[in-house]
Amino acid sequence: MFERLSLFSMAQNMATHAAARQNVIAQNVTNSDTPGYKAQDLTALSQPSEATFQMRRTAPQHLLGTTQAQWHRIEIAGQADPNGNTVSLEEEVLRSVDAARAHNRALTIYQSSLGILRSALGRSGG
Amino acid sequence: MAGFSQTFDILASGLRAQATRLRHVSENIANTDTPGYRGKTVSFMPDYRPDVPEGSVRTGQVQLDQSTLPRIYDPAHPMANADGYYDGSNVNLMLELADAREAQRSYEASLKMFEQTRRMSSAIMEILKR
Repeated sequence: MFERLSLFSMAQNMATHAAARQNVIAQNVTNSDTPGYKAQDLTALSQPSEATFQMRRTAPQHLLGTTQAQWHRIEIAGQADPNGNTVSLEEEVLRSVDAARAHNRALTIYQSSLGILRSALGRSGG
Repeated sequence: MAGFSQTFDILASGLRAQATRLRHVSENIANTDTPGYRGKTVSFMPDYRPDVPEGSVRTGQVQLDQSTLPRIYDPAHPMANADGYYDGSNVNLMLELADAREAQRSYEASLKMFEQTRRMSSAIMEILKR
C-alpha cells in the first residue's frame, strides 16, 4: 500500500521473493519422488527496484516480456538418485527455513516501518 | 504475487500422490498370500494439466509387477494343479515396507512444508490485524 516509500517497497520485494522461493521449494519437496526431476531454486534477491533501469509504459500490456525480473529460477546441482531425481529433502528443509526467516524479517521491517509512520501521523504506533 | 494458495495446491498434490502410493502398498501387503496376485506399482509424473499450478505431481497408471509368480508346492491346497503346485503372489514384503517408509518420509516432509507455509501466510494476516 505504500509502494512509493522505498523502505516499504523493499520489504514488499523481500517478502515476495521469500514467498516465491517457498513456492519453488514446495515444488521440490512435492517432486522428491518424481523420476528425472531436477531440484530448483531462485537466485538471491538483488537491489531494490529503483536501481534497475526500466522503460516507462503507458499501459501494462505494452512491451510484454521486456521487463527484467529481479530473480529467476536456477537448477541446483546435486547428487542424482538412480531415477535421475536430484532433490535432497534435508537441503530443502534448510532452504525452507531460510525462506521463512527472510519472510519473517521482511514482515518485521514492514511492521515496524508502519509503526514509525503511524507515530509520525500522531497515532499510537506499536 | 503468486500467492501462498498456489503453494498449498502444489503441496496438496504431493500429499495426494504419496497417499495413493501408500494405498497401493497396503493393498499389496494385504494380498501377500493371495494366489496369483501381482503386485501393483504406480509411477509419479509431473502434472502438466492447465488447471493445476506448475510443479504439481500426479500418479500415473497402475501397473502390475510382471515378474514371474513363484510356484509353491502344496498338494493339499485347493488351487493346486495335478502336480501339486499353485501360483503364489509375487509381492516382495521387504520392498513394500521400504516403499511404505519412503512414502511416509515424503508425506511428512510435505506436511512440514505445509505447516511452514501456513505460518508464513498467517504472519501476513497479523499485519492486517493491527
